[in-house]
Amino acid sequence: MAELVIDPVTRISGIAAIRVVTDEEGNVEARFQAYGYRGFEQIAVGCHLDNLLPLVSRICGRDSVFHQVAVASAVEVATGTRPPQEAMNVRLLALWAQLFERHAVCLTVHSLPDLLFPSSDPGLRNLVSIYRVDEEVVRRLMALKALGTDVLRQAGGAAVHPVNIRPGGAFRTLSAEVRKELLGKLDEAAPLLMETGKLIKLLLRRNEELVNGLANLSAPSLALRGDGSMELTGERIAVSGADGVELAAYGCQELAGKIKESNSRHSHVRHAELEGVGPARVGPLARLNVNGGYGSPLADEELEEIKSQWGFPVQRGLVGHALRILEMMHAWHRMRELLQAEPLEDLGGGVQASAGKAVGAVEAPEGMLIYEVEVGDDGLLKRMSIVSPLQFNLHLLERSLSESAGSLLAGSEGESRATDLLQVAVRSYAPCIPCGIH
Amino acid sequence: MQVAIVSLSSCLGCQMVFLSLGDFFYRFIGENRIVYAPFFVDGRDFPEVELALVEGTVRNSGHFLKAREVREKAGRVVALGTCACFGGVQGLADGFSEETLIRRRFGETDMENAPRGIRRLLPLDSYIKVDAFLPGCPPDSDLLKGFLEMVLAGEVPERPGSTVCSQCRVTSPELPQPGPRRVTAEPPRPGACLLESGYLCMGPLTRDGCGARCPSAMGVPCHGCRGPSDAAMTPAVDILGETVRRLSRATGRRESEVAAAVTDPAHSCYLFCMAEPSLRRRRPGGTAPFIHRLESR
Repeated sequence: MAELVIDPVTRISGIAAIRVVTDEEGNVEARFQAYGYRGFEQIAVGCHLDNLLPLVSRICGRDSVFHQVAVASAVEVATGTRPPQEAMNVRLLALWAQLFERHAVCLTVHSLPDLLFPSSDPGLRNLVSIYRVDEEVVRRLMALKALGTDVLRQAGGAAVHPVNIRPGGAFRTLSAEVRKELLGKLDEAAPLLMETGKLIKLLLRRNEELVNGLANLSAPSLALRGDGSMELTGERIAVSGADGVELAAYGCQELAGKIKESNSRHSHVRHAELEGVGPARVGPLARLNVNGGYGSPLADEELEEIKSQWGFPVQRGLVGHALRILEMMHAWHRMRELLQAEPLEDLGGGVQASAGKAVGAVEAPEGMLIYEVEVGDDGLLKRMSIVSPLQFNLHLLERSLSESAGSLLAGSEGESRATDLLQVAVRSYAPCIPCGIH
Repeated sequence: MQVAIVSLSSCLGCQMVFLSLGDFFYRFIGENRIVYAPFFVDGRDFPEVELALVEGTVRNSGHFLKAREVREKAGRVVALGTCACFGGVQGLADGFSEETLIRRRFGETDMENAPRGIRRLLPLDSYIKVDAFLPGCPPDSDLLKGFLEMVLAGEVPERPGSTVCSQCRVTSPELPQPGPRRVTAEPPRPGACLLESGYLCMGPLTRDGCGARCPSAMGVPCHGCRGPSDAAMTPAVDILGETVRRLSRATGRRESEVAAAVTDPAHSCYLFCMAEPSLRRRRPGGTAPFIHRLESR
């Protein structure tokens, strides 16, 4: 039995390894190995609702607002609380800003070096080396990340673990001066965003062989449904088949009974799949496949080119990088709308402690994040369970790796090329390990 | 300078702050060589380095071996963030054994190549010698910038040891106030001292350096994310008892009544420092009773 071990996989969020095992008959199986379960579902039990959001935020510093909003939504449904419009707007602004920031990091720090220098020494394929050659390009690309951080810091009160959201509402809204300043920064960034979109599209065309050969799998898609638009929060959930036809639609509260989790033999990330559907993809590809578009002019205009080049529904994992830029354009549009809206005074009253259980789901940057909570009438958390995007995508990720590893190891280029390309395939999923091993 | 950035069990929040340092970030990557940082660069083997920034906690044998390797090969080791300095939120897992946590989640599944869980959750300096500490969940970007400037200049920065209250700019309300109160039940009035308004605020016992942004600018009670202050670390201070005493004074209610109203003392008072050994061993006022209480759930 031969084994190829890539430990750790680099330029991803968190610590994980790939183990490719080839048996005597030549069958290749790739395992995505991520250990380090942290037990957040268990340590949160007994926690007062006051301390719940600061606690779940620490599951992931890159998706913290998504964890906070998902758990807050579940608690609000469980306790029969309805947050006012302004609190929802503040939350949405923080969510779009964090999605913008996270996609920018995923593209510039993790994936762009692969597309810019696909054949160079892996040691040089990173942000730091690019900076040594061309300072300006790194500064410009990182300016998008900084923009997301700026908006998040104002909407959330902190840039990594925001403090402004609470069950029932929010603490503060943004002042007129801050709104004006952020709108100015957004306007200033528009040309850069468009330019980066062009760059990513160009790089994908230049690396067509990689795009067609790596992480190219047909699968059903699971996402929150908007009205032909991409939404980060909501109650309607849809599954579309690999051919784009809708397979199922659920209300958010029905979701808990539809998800089947199972242990992996080589990872602390548990597999999640949908009853009656099986493994389904979540994330940028799934959101587009379910909704068909973004619902904002800039992103929808650019989408036409992607659809004509790569087809629809999109199943090529690396095209996800282009979709991340389109989602950033959509986020840019939504952040502008939210900042231009007239602020309202009501940020929400208190949550009346009452027993109940409910589900909260949000579209995190790499796919659907689901919380199910049970609250006691003493205001303490009785039970919490979390299903993270990587749990859904794990089936597909491992299948992609197994298929690619089979052909790469059989080819003449050897293990070092296989090591490189398998990591490129992993990065196309942008897996979040801290969320996966919550 | 050759620099490594190492993640143990963490949320990666500290590395996100590193990416947010603006011009300092570019100067840092321009003047130094980041030779090991799986989040940014491709090197898999840990080389000899002059400086290693380590974030996260040690939760299993893999983390422990990595921490030991870092100590052997790094000239100076910095504990970056509250997880590395005090155990952080993950310290609440100290209420269980790692085996119990994993068994409850995965049953008896036998996993290939799985690292062994540690027996007690402890901060990084319980496993290896640490040269400097920068707590914060995550550390504020200005704080990180100033800290790294000192480290790069060869100095060993000291932890600020005063309290969040020393930086807080709020007014005192008239006492007594109703309470103890919770922000989810009764959102606070901005601008007034939250503790004196009857809310559970950990400002008086939490290490300063954050500028008290949460209570001062946001009207949000301090959850203690920078870990206990020097005073709170001294054996004479009982963090829960001190909080109850202060709330009793603010609300005019008996200490026993206030204590009964704090229904989640581990989460309210030790959210970021349950793993700190100097608090665990303390009798009375240590965290040991919560370890038992969590385990029995």
